[in-house]
Amino acid sequence: MKRENKLGSFGLRALVAGVLITISQPLIYLFIRASDKSGQDIVALLTRQKTLDVLALTLLLLVIVVLVNVFLGTAIAAGLHYVKIPYPRILLVSTILPLAIPSYVFTYTWMAIFPALEGVWAAAYILSLSTMPYMILAVSISFQRIDSGLIEVARSLGLSKPAVFTRVILPQVRRSISAGALLSGLYVLSDFGAVSLLNVETLTVSIQNLFKSSYDRGAASVIGILLFFAAAIFVLFESILKGKDFESRGAEGFQERIRRISNPALSVFTILIIALYGLLAVVVPFYVLISRYLQNPGVVAFSDLFSAALSTVSVAGLGAFIAFILSLPLALLATQGPSAFAAIAGKVILISHALPGVVVGLALVSFGSRLGPLYQSVFLLAFAYAVLFLAKSVASTSAALTLVSPQLKEVAATLGKSKSGIAMQVVFPIALPNLALGVLLVFLTAMKELPATLMLRPTGMDTLATEIWSFAAISRFNEAAPYALLLVIIAAIPTFILTIPRAAKSDIEKKVRYL
Amino acid sequence: MTSLSISHLSVKLGEREIISDLSFDLRQGEIASLLGPSGCGKTTLLRAIAGLIQPTGGTIRFGSQLVGVSSVVLPPNKRGTGYVPQQGALFPHLNVAKNISFGLDRELYTKKQISEITEEMINLIGLPGFENRLPSQLSGGQQTRVALARALAIKPKLILLDEPFSALDAVLRDELRSEVVGLLRKLGSTAILVTHDREEALVSSDRVVLMRSGRVVQDGTPEEVYEAPISPEIAASTGDVLVLGAQKLTDGQTRYPLSLSGIAEVGSDTGYVVIRPEEIQVSSTSADGVEGSLIHIDYYGHDAMLTVEVLNSRTPIKARVVGPTQFVLGQKVYLKHIGPVRYFARQ
Repeated sequence: MKRENKLGSFGLRALVAGVLITISQPLIYLFIRASDKSGQDIVALLTRQKTLDVLALTLLLLVIVVLVNVFLGTAIAAGLHYVKIPYPRILLVSTILPLAIPSYVFTYTWMAIFPALEGVWAAAYILSLSTMPYMILAVSISFQRIDSGLIEVARSLGLSKPAVFTRVILPQVRRSISAGALLSGLYVLSDFGAVSLLNVETLTVSIQNLFKSSYDRGAASVIGILLFFAAAIFVLFESILKGKDFESRGAEGFQERIRRISNPALSVFTILIIALYGLLAVVVPFYVLISRYLQNPGVVAFSDLFSAALSTVSVAGLGAFIAFILSLPLALLATQGPSAFAAIAGKVILISHALPGVVVGLALVSFGSRLGPLYQSVFLLAFAYAVLFLAKSVASTSAALTLVSPQLKEVAATLGKSKSGIAMQVVFPIALPNLALGVLLVFLTAMKELPATLMLRPTGMDTLATEIWSFAAISRFNEAAPYALLLVIIAAIPTFILTIPRAAKSDIEKKVRYL
Repeated sequence: MTSLSISHLSVKLGEREIISDLSFDLRQGEIASLLGPSGCGKTTLLRAIAGLIQPTGGTIRFGSQLVGVSSVVLPPNKRGTGYVPQQGALFPHLNVAKNISFGLDRELYTKKQISEITEEMINLIGLPGFENRLPSQLSGGQQTRVALARALAIKPKLILLDEPFSALDAVLRDELRSEVVGLLRKLGSTAILVTHDREEALVSSDRVVLMRSGRVVQDGTPEEVYEAPISPEIAASTGDVLVLGAQKLTDGQTRYPLSLSGIAEVGSDTGYVVIRPEEIQVSSTSADGVEGSLIHIDYYGHDAMLTVEVLNSRTPIKARVVGPTQFVLGQKVYLKHIGPVRYFARQ
């Protein structure tokens, strides 16, 4: 078996190497384009006051948003889990729902109320609203996995409730808090829509400006590389900071019995915080979108709306599909246990996670003319989505595949099945629901993507995101409303599927683990 | 006829040698237990036989066919072994009937034959009517039965059972075990049962293969390994045991605290005597035997283990009695050893 694996894995390794080379293309293009500039020019560009200011502003924004998330996001997740509140499930969904609303839609709905909104604090506010669900989701899942038996044991050993939280619960969710911080930080680094609308010049805006105004693609590439390094350092920093993984043995059937703290003051406080977040991040945006739409429902022709929605769904779907196909060899490699090669592949994927949309867009546009028929086609845009969201796809695909117990594969082998038979009859049927969930997640993210879409969309193709953007940028909020409403509604469907039927998903997990 | 023959097998996992120079044979229709503490390599041995891991040395033969050497000859899917892992490992996405027919090759069997075999297996394990249930809708015992049926359906040369009953509660476990063993005997299957439960090994097999750190330390019928252990430690792995200091005299007599010929001088031991607790007769009336004082009773209902302090042994004596209620703590009792004297010289 081992030997067979070695022979079989040669092909797999070749495939993985192919995928890694493919997704590194944008970065390689970027370096080639930047090398058009002389060394002196590059140093001058990187050390000029403007660049330093932009970098400082970007990092400031990053730190504020990450801190807000770490404290407020964790607190909300903890409240949802451990405090006695009415309808905890519905409240949880309402805190996750803002995932469906892209940052530029948030910005524009708030600007529709406060037209003077701008500046770094406004950007920090908007980006905190948009990134909070990542933190809440990451930490909530972690809370759910904590064996409530541990809490009971800690209580019986004499720990007070706050001590249980800091000494038993927090250490177990630390890695999830770290992962949530990573997601929200990368979101800030790569965000273009919100900061651009709010007149905050971060690195992404700088790149877009250099690219558009001066057509100085060399300079834009240099700043693009700077942004990439900032993100890559952040990713590596997080992977060091989060510490060692330990296996938590989730208890089954115990989760339901978690005793929530019933302290009226704490309950009221928790509900108020969650309600406030829901008001700011769900009610206000929806209210603005719906009221703006109702003010002038005929302002956008139905056919325009329909064709934009169709473009969005098809190109995002294609991107999610490509990302899934590219993720398969990497996920299969991950299921074969640790190896030096798998570690390298993991690092490359981690770094690809740090590629902001504007950087990938710029790289592919810069080399567009050399890509022949691919340039100005939906395939190039879909490929950009696949590169941008491959890390997400790999994570969910390998999670789905590792849920299939190795024992089942072994039993299938003793019952006469070949490797392909095992894959087709055992692994994929069992992993299918979770694989589909992963594709859906990438699809949802790709639908909202703005900067790469702006740069790479074929001439004449409008997606919901680009339409919202072009109307919001010139403050024509009424025209933007129907597009935004449609995008948010389409995006909300996968968000609902990802959060509400947790029971159904854990049922699959349970079934598989129970073996 | 030899069904399985393993010779000088060794298996390494990473740097660690799990199995070293291990040999044993199994005849057609024989049921053997691999008994040993966890980590002794019994599951690894089973997986090597199934072809799931590759040996680093030695050979595995099924009959006269060579199936495993250090370079794998036959992959697991060509070996035709019926593997029943711990807790069954049923395919969660397939119902009972489809789990059972999973290994039946559609090129070798017609649709009709497949459904006939499936039905036969379902009747064999006593679960008619459960065809369309999913594994999640079955109890632990039912799952184990289906896993067994799935393994039997491919008419394997050899059935490999890896602690199949370990997840079940005691009563169900005994019932299911005798049911499964009865079934295997009826079908004349050759089987290997991995277990760390000494009673399970003794009661369910024709052969008990005792393993310690990757080696076979004793191999024989249940009676042989229980009655004639090759060392005090091995004796302990098949049942409760009492190890007493003993002295072998030049005339061949063995003296130990319960011997009739008197007591060895304390401190002059040359070895040990191994006694099973049920080989000691306890009497509260007749003064026939060694006098002692009853200091502890472990009451099991059907029998009891008495702990008795005797004058000439530092180790308290443990004796098993039926009808335990006649004894009270602290009373005077008389002990008589009625079994064979198993003497082992000190090394």
